[in-house]
Amino acid sequence: MSMPFYVSPEQLTKDRAEFAQKGIARGRSMVATTYDNGVLLVAENPSASLNKISEIYDRIAFAGVGKYNEFDRLREAGIRWADGTGYTYSREDVDARALANYYAQYLGAMFAEGPKPLEIEILVAQLGNELRPTKLYHLAYEGTITDEERFAVLGGDADTIKQRFADTDTGASDLRGALHHAVAALSGPDRSIPATDLEVAVLEDRGSRRTFVRLTDEVVGELLNN
Amino acid sequence: MGLPLFSVQEDPGPSFVSYLDAKGASMTLPTGVDSPHATTVVAVRAAGGVVLVGDRQATGAYIASRDVRKIEAADRFTAIAISGSAAMGMEFIRMAQLSFEHYEKMTGSSLSLEGKANYLSPLIQRNNLTTPFLVLPLLAGYDVNRKRGRVFEYDGAGGCYERGDFVVIGSGTPFAESALRLGFRDDMSIEDAVELAALAVYEAGDNDPATGGPDFVRNIFPMIVTVTDEGFSELSAEATATTFRTIHERRTATGGRPGGALR
Repeated sequence: MSMPFYVSPEQLTKDRAEFAQKGIARGRSMVATTYDNGVLLVAENPSASLNKISEIYDRIAFAGVGKYNEFDRLREAGIRWADGTGYTYSREDVDARALANYYAQYLGAMFAEGPKPLEIEILVAQLGNELRPTKLYHLAYEGTITDEERFAVLGGDADTIKQRFADTDTGASDLRGALHHAVAALSGPDRSIPATDLEVAVLEDRGSRRTFVRLTDEVVGELLNN
Repeated sequence: MGLPLFSVQEDPGPSFVSYLDAKGASMTLPTGVDSPHATTVVAVRAAGGVVLVGDRQATGAYIASRDVRKIEAADRFTAIAISGSAAMGMEFIRMAQLSFEHYEKMTGSSLSLEGKANYLSPLIQRNNLTTPFLVLPLLAGYDVNRKRGRVFEYDGAGGCYERGDFVVIGSGTPFAESALRLGFRDDMSIEDAVELAALAVYEAGDNDPATGGPDFVRNIFPMIVTVTDEGFSELSAEATATTFRTIHERRTATGGRPGGALR
């Protein structure tokens, strides 16, 4: 009878973390930031149809980096949870914090007990109103959850981009300013990202219930070139 | 309710109803309860869109409510209206609104108008064949793929039929339909269709006790909706009141007789 080798919890956690980080680092990063009228989400994404950013509910957006199939499954679960909760209770009872907690539990469980940790990081963004604050919930591959007020960066290159964003941050500006700032942080000083390689969406109050709007390449290009 | 995750084999896909079924949350109903009924709504095809007019009364043994909204936006380019059990009808509207939006968010693209019409069929079938709370909706909207207005009616078993002219649902149907049959023309302007549809509901309110006509005492009028390439739009309270006042004044002038013409 063969016995499994003993592996210390420290070693196991380290190995799993390294595995997840490597997977995440293979993909491109994304930035989310608040601006004067809402929340802006910008991802580097050459695909026009496989989205990293999407709508969860009236005032909640989702973004994921890393393995597409893994975060897309969580995106679908989030939409189901939100629509199910709003149907059972009321639309105003759907809270991004609750969803972020469920995601955290799931990511944590997969990291500790799953066949392999998920190679993803996700973001749950909520546009505030009189009931709830504007929040960016950042979830790491192992289930760590942080709530940011101003901006969040996801992906393998997060530390560098975060630093670049923070160094030039002058507080909430208009959409154009926020987009310029986010794209500059994403691309760095040595290259520029064309509008067609950017996926951009906002959560913004425009007088209707749903606040999620995808910005087309044309709109993004125009905002960046002026 | 935790995070609703499904295995690949058991995933319910983008249908909200399939999702509710998968988590075992769809409703079962008691039988033999008397509940209020909602009645007459008409939907008329016109040039570049559709027009819907619906009365506002819910009727049980007595008048249960005078200001029910039987027409709602299912999404930006689609209107859904209900007749039959008011309780089930309201649930139906909610389910349709939620399902279309759910599909759009899950897949990243909207259902076609025909897709929406077909989606309701099994819901009607399931409801009507398993509960005593019969409900008969209609679906009308602007088809953004085909660039024209379309109207769909259903039978009690869930059969879905597209009509080229108009659809009428509810107990006032014989009277409303008669008016529409005489007055309908292909490619009517939206304005003409509004007048005709309003007259049809006025006729139903005049003859059918379960259909509410214009209520000048409470200032409650049948609601008027248009769906065009600009989306779902409800006529303002003033414009609606004016439309029905005009018909009413014409009738008052002739002592209640229609006068042999559509007026």
